[in-house]
Amino acid sequence: MSKPKFSNHNPDLFRRRKLANMIGLSLSISAMAVGMLILIWILAVLFYKGFSEIDLEIFTMNAPAPGSEGGGLLNAIVGSLLLVGSCTLISTPIGVMAGIYLTEYGDRSRVAGITRFITDIMLSAPSIVIGLFVYAIFVAQIKHFSGWAGTVALALIAVPVIVRTTENMLRLVPSTLREAAYALGAPKWKVSFNIILRAAQSGVMTGILLAIARVSGETAPLLFTALNNQFFSINMNAPMANLPVTIFQFAMSPYENWNGLAWGGALLITMAVLTLNILARVVFREKVQG
Amino acid sequence: MKSMFDLNKIDAQGGGVENTNKQAHQETVNVLEVRNLNFYYGKFQGLKDINLNIEQGKVTAFIGPSGCGKSTLLRTLNRMYDLYPGQRAEGEINFFGENILAPGQDLNLLRSRIGMVFQKPTPFPMSIYENIAFGVRLYENLSRSEMDERVEWALKKAALWNEAKDKLNQSGLSLSGGQQQRLCIARGVAVKPSVILLDEPTSALDPISTGKVEELVHELKHEYTIAIVTHNMQQAARVSDYTAYMYLGNLVEFGKTDELFIKPKRKETEDYITGRFG
Amino acid sequence: MPDKHLSSQFDADLNSLSSRLLEMGGLVESQISTAMRAFTQMDIDTCNIVIENEKLVNDLEIQIDLDCTELIARRQPTARDLRLVMAVSKAITNLERAGDEAERVATRTKSLIESGSPHNINVAEIRLSGQMAINLLRRSLDAFARLDTVAAAEVVTEDRQIDEEFRGFVRKLITYMSEDPHVISTGLDMLTIAKAIERIGDHAKNIAEFVIYIAKGSDVRHIPHEDLVREANKQ
Repeated sequence: MSKPKFSNHNPDLFRRRKLANMIGLSLSISAMAVGMLILIWILAVLFYKGFSEIDLEIFTMNAPAPGSEGGGLLNAIVGSLLLVGSCTLISTPIGVMAGIYLTEYGDRSRVAGITRFITDIMLSAPSIVIGLFVYAIFVAQIKHFSGWAGTVALALIAVPVIVRTTENMLRLVPSTLREAAYALGAPKWKVSFNIILRAAQSGVMTGILLAIARVSGETAPLLFTALNNQFFSINMNAPMANLPVTIFQFAMSPYENWNGLAWGGALLITMAVLTLNILARVVFREKVQG
Repeated sequence: MKSMFDLNKIDAQGGGVENTNKQAHQETVNVLEVRNLNFYYGKFQGLKDINLNIEQGKVTAFIGPSGCGKSTLLRTLNRMYDLYPGQRAEGEINFFGENILAPGQDLNLLRSRIGMVFQKPTPFPMSIYENIAFGVRLYENLSRSEMDERVEWALKKAALWNEAKDKLNQSGLSLSGGQQQRLCIARGVAVKPSVILLDEPTSALDPISTGKVEELVHELKHEYTIAIVTHNMQQAARVSDYTAYMYLGNLVEFGKTDELFIKPKRKETEDYITGRFG
Repeated sequence: MPDKHLSSQFDADLNSLSSRLLEMGGLVESQISTAMRAFTQMDIDTCNIVIENEKLVNDLEIQIDLDCTELIARRQPTARDLRLVMAVSKAITNLERAGDEAERVATRTKSLIESGSPHNINVAEIRLSGQMAINLLRRSLDAFARLDTVAAAEVVTEDRQIDEEFRGFVRKLITYMSEDPHVISTGLDMLTIAKAIERIGDHAKNIAEFVIYIAKGSDVRHIPHEDLVREANKQ
């Protein structure tokens, strides 16, 4: 019995295809390598410059006065936590509700269309513009910088992100699930909150975490709203210390210890954002059913 | 205002048919009467002047080629189409005498009396227990132990109790496809509706699961009125008492299943069921 | 069948079923003809041909029944197709029994020849009703091939004539046998032959009734004759 003949009629064609495949593959890998290289470079520099700064002091001592030795970033860390925390508390309900409105209630109405349009614009609005806006309507009115103003500015950045991801995640829920809930006689709000939102909860949580990750690094909006505070304070009605602005300030200064602290702070923020992203991907990943 | 859906009478209506040995004379009660029903998807007419009765305690099957309107018809019976703007129905559908197409009907309440199970199993993202309790809680206030009983009862009715009783707190999504569909049936049965609508319930299931669901239909029919849409003619022949053949939005023939499958009245019906297409 | 199934194999199977029935019918027809010829010519060899070929008829019955069963198992036929298969399964029983009757005619003829005793019984009725029976069987098979219910109803009607002929012949035989006891054994053979022919007519009638069942869906067995004719002529 002879061996079956594979239709390798055209060995030239095969060789050409193999070559094209190799070229395509190499180009993709090189592109990826370039991107990865830059990313790794950034992280490497951060670690190199900032790691030595991470010690107990940085978490326990406040920002040093100009010229004085040592010090830490306690007030900036606490301030950032307060600002980001209150931003989350405000923007999550607003964003999620808006997302629910857009998918379940409004959908094709004019109001929904306008809402989506505005959300898209705000998503790509320069954060400095948002900062200035809050300055004009809030800070200028009360005549002093304030932590609450900072919260509002951050929320204006976070809400569109949450709305967008919530809407997208809710849309991914199959309409059959929706119908199944209605078929039992459930009223609309119960379907939206107890069934649909629950089905999309991983995706929505991911969206919220990513929004938080984004706003924790924003500097420009805080410059005009919360500004900064050299001292430890938890008074949101006054200027609030925060990491991004502190880093800005310290990095531009001539003081060595300030520069060092800036690198430390930068590393801290990067680690926080990285952790949030990993958290979003790992803990809240969708449970896939076979 | 008269409430046809008086929940205090759940057992009377949802419990359905009286045992036959109690009745001296059989009176056929029509749970649903469809009169001059026309249905539109925007400008396109999906159903044309449908007239038929769904008899209580019987299984009525709807067969026909794709696009004939059988699913459309089923979805008018619990006004599921209302979720989508642009779809509208004209005519009358009388549910125990009241026209459910009339404006001002409480649709949620209606849907608790006329339940539906879909083609694709759709367990809610909750535990098996919660899946069933969700629907019951909508309209009834049961104590914890009463709810436990109801969940067990529903799962037993769906022939799922033995497989699920040890994992009531596990997610509904952890069940196999056939089990998920039986869970959906249990969910629908738990609220004790008068009518259960099944929209191609076994299309996505393997033959053994299909057999179990068909067996279920056979047992449920004594207490519930069932309407089933299926593209599998043999299934219609196996499970139903009455069969309706539809084509391009028209009700071509409606009659007792035995008669329709041995001696259909219309040639179009015969062509379809014997597998002859023009 | 004018219309085609989506499955051409199914069409082929149903057509093959019908043709095999007609083939069996043709075989039985020729058996009866040959038996009648053997009787008319009193030829022993011809009798033996019929007796031998009886086996072929039986084999066909078994084969066609198997075809019917396989078709049901594979295709779950409904409506008209289902009625066809059910009818074929029953019709071949009738054909097989008609074949048995033909063989009975041959064996009785053979015993008549072998006994050798002369007789003066007029066998014209037997010859005549034999012809009629063959004719009825042929027409019932034709009606089956064309699913012609009107022709089928005619077969049912005309079978009554054979029954009449048979009764007439019995009366004649009784007269002969009571007049001359020596012809009793011959007479009984004749009676058996006449009865066999009468039964062949009945089998043809049954096949005709099945034709109406297939085409109209009504089971016309055991209903009054007028109702049967009306059912057959319904549009």
